[in-house]
Amino acid sequence: MTDITTGAPAGRARGGSASLKGAGLLALGIAAALAAGFGLGGDPFLLNLAGYTCGFAIFALSVNVMLGGLGEVPLGHCMFYGIGAYAPAMAMNHAGLPYEAGAVIGMVVAALIAAPIGWLTLHLTGAYFSIVSWGLSGVAMVTALNLDVTGGPLGLFGFSRLAVGPFDLSRPQTYFFVAAAILLAVLVVLYHIRGSRFGRAMEAIRQGPHLARSLGIDVFRERLKALVLSAPIAALAGALSLPYTQIVTPEVMSVLRTVDALLAALIGGVGLIFGPAVGAVIFTILPQFLDLDPNVKVLVFSLLIILVMVAAPGGLHQLWKAAAARLSHARREDAP
Amino acid sequence: MDLLIQTLINGLILGAGYALVAVGLTVIFGTLHIVNFAHGAFFALGAYATLLIERAGAPYLLAIPLAVLCVAAIGFALEATIVRRALYDQGEHGSIIVTFAISQAIVAAIILVVGPDPLPVPSPFGQTAVSAGGFFLSAQRIFIAAASVAVLAGFALWLRRSVKGQQILAVSQNARGALYSGINVPLIRSLSFLLGIAAAGLAGALMGPMISAFPTMGDANVIVAFTVVILGGLGSIGGAMLGALVIGLGNALFETYVSVSWTPALGWVLVILVLLLRPQGLMGRAQLDRH
Repeated sequence: MTDITTGAPAGRARGGSASLKGAGLLALGIAAALAAGFGLGGDPFLLNLAGYTCGFAIFALSVNVMLGGLGEVPLGHCMFYGIGAYAPAMAMNHAGLPYEAGAVIGMVVAALIAAPIGWLTLHLTGAYFSIVSWGLSGVAMVTALNLDVTGGPLGLFGFSRLAVGPFDLSRPQTYFFVAAAILLAVLVVLYHIRGSRFGRAMEAIRQGPHLARSLGIDVFRERLKALVLSAPIAALAGALSLPYTQIVTPEVMSVLRTVDALLAALIGGVGLIFGPAVGAVIFTILPQFLDLDPNVKVLVFSLLIILVMVAAPGGLHQLWKAAAARLSHARREDAP
Repeated sequence: MDLLIQTLINGLILGAGYALVAVGLTVIFGTLHIVNFAHGAFFALGAYATLLIERAGAPYLLAIPLAVLCVAAIGFALEATIVRRALYDQGEHGSIIVTFAISQAIVAAIILVVGPDPLPVPSPFGQTAVSAGGFFLSAQRIFIAAASVAVLAGFALWLRRSVKGQQILAVSQNARGALYSGINVPLIRSLSFLLGIAAAGLAGALMGPMISAFPTMGDANVIVAFTVVILGGLGSIGGAMLGALVIGLGNALFETYVSVSWTPALGWVLVILVLLLRPQGLMGRAQLDRH
């Protein structure tokens, strides 16, 4: 967790020898994760929360593939998170499969569902896409409420063994290290994708779909690829939430979860690879330490997000940048 | 047969309530090109304002206009501080996030001030049922239908007959053209936003006694309103009224003849189908950003 906070200032100054910087950031992230893992003093609650935060950061990263990558607001992304949370729960409780098999199944299912959904809905943009996306998650939630396999409104709980291979996730420290390692792996993957042909195509589409198309980019196909890429990442995040929540209910697909991730991404900065992860840390850790009531938290963060959108649409770091620019501008005007 | 007629009557009355929410949404979209995701929160504010004013001692019928004024005042404050600065002529994804954040903030504020539990909104029509020709209707439903029809008819007339109404229509047809003909476009946009919000507040004040007030009460309604508005063609006021009746009937029929527990999914499925199959709405022209 602290890994990301320390990683942010370095990530802010992009450009230059990218791969070297990427490796440096990764080393920094690993060091910080280790420091946090041992430094939290073995407090099981904090370590569990830190593990959950890593999962939430992964979800924010997944949402940001759509938000920062395509410029769409995927309100229904919580559906993929929910699929990822339900899959291991159902695999363990109904099929007797181990947790990690369920998590992989969830990721595969999320990708398989994302493909036809994207094929149907990605022709729509803006508010229309957001409404349809929200609608699909609403249908998924009502379905989870009404089916027996999903345990209806009570959900699924009482899991046999939450473990990845030899690592027992019911031990808070192990849970945190596994979640942090997966978060770093996701960051590395996204970092490489951003530099790839596909990443540059997405950036071109975000800046101007018509120009991108005139350059020979198949806009629809790249948008579809982005959704199919982000869905299993969201499912992975959902699976990683189980050791913390110990239960899956239909509420897991509530649109509020997506909104939380959107807030995290916006606070951290949608244009930065690390941004959503930083935002996720701020979003979960800060209220914990300030001992905020959950509703005060929502109120404060909603107002914060409005402030961000009004004053600095690219993330909080823009405020700092703008202040610096104004300062240097003022100095320049003084000089002559 | 009796069941069918009773269901149809309930559906039409439900549709009249939806129409109020949907018309507000469509007026805001038509002139501001913002899909107001906070619409449901203003709906809830309307119900809570009615409740609080009634607790202060005012009768229900007086509480309704006062509540609408309160909601409009809050809407005015938000319009002047946030919406006007952040959303006009900005990209769509900004307006989705900001209106969603406003909605979250309002719901959280309601929980903090009043509490999370559902509260009954007292109404003089609450307990009485009227029987007509063998069919039973709660007096509150009749009141909702009558008030919505009266307000919508008045609004439609005002749009056609008054100068301001004509200006709203002009801005929603072509904002630049309206600007060139000397219409104060920013003023008209603020006015439309206020009218839309006030309609949502009025709908909340009317529906409150029927469904009782709870912080997220607007969610289900705004989802239906999205369906209605898209079905009617975004920005088309007549379309919104027609769409509301269609959805009200559909909902009532589904609830009676298919399943109550799956009814919440119906609105979602309809909105998805409408957007995928007939995004231009039932009678509207194609006006969708497609690639």
